[in-house]
Amino acid sequence: MAQTQTWTDTGIQELILLLEEGVATGMESIVCLDMATPCTAAVASTFADPADTAVHHTDSGLQLAAIATVSHDTVNTTGDTITFDHVFTATATKNVAGIHVCNNDDDVTFIECCFNQVLAVENTDTITIDGQSTIDQA
Amino acid sequence: MKIGTRSSLRVYATAEHRTGFCENCQTKTVKEFYMDGERKRVRMICPSCGGMGKLIAKTYSVQPPKPPQCMSFRCLYQFFMDTLFCALLSNYHRRRVAYAEKNRHKVILERYRTGEPSPTGLLRAVVANIKLIGR
Repeated sequence: MAQTQTWTDTGIQELILLLEEGVATGMESIVCLDMATPCTAAVASTFADPADTAVHHTDSGLQLAAIATVSHDTVNTTGDTITFDHVFTATATKNVAGIHVCNNDDDVTFIECCFNQVLAVENTDTITIDGQSTIDQA
Repeated sequence: MKIGTRSSLRVYATAEHRTGFCENCQTKTVKEFYMDGERKRVRMICPSCGGMGKLIAKTYSVQPPKPPQCMSFRCLYQFFMDTLFCALLSNYHRRRVAYAEKNRHKVILERYRTGEPSPTGLLRAVVANIKLIGR
């Protein structure tokens, strides 16, 4: 399976709510996906709900956490890109199939990313996430 | 005639899987914030020597090709070739990451851990895939 990453439908809905100044929050949290086999990111993801503990890590340093840095950048036009970086430090042997980037109150997944392969992390291993999303008008 | 294409909301993401101890002096790495141009970033770094943990595997985000911009044979052929290359490259990185994860304690070629250099042409992507078959 190729690495896949996409904005989810729920993430786009939250983005639209932000634009119309509705009840919505911005990009704030990140969590690792707990799966033994590779997944495929989908806009209509069936496991996008951050409260779904069956597919999200809930401990061992891979659980939902505030993203270390979120900032804006430029790819095509000024400030058209949001970037995010985070480091997970595992405290046990676990599988990590991908990540979800969530909003501030952790009820919506903005971005779903499924890695090329499941990463088999061991105690003290680190996973450094480098992500960016561009609203491309080019 | 040039066909306009839809704008999009694109995502890139990579994950760098490393051990938690410096590969030079075995000191436990610590989180450090740093500036990359104007972008504030974070990494795990050795407080003693500035090294990093041993790289196990780095995932790679392959972007799909742009849609064809015209209906000429040349445009459609180019789109077909770009799509084929994208599929081969994705398959290469899938195999590469699996191979690197499987051999985390063994010495393997660094390019299988970093993903760089990545195959740049169709033929090279085919050869790179063949080399990883059965590993």
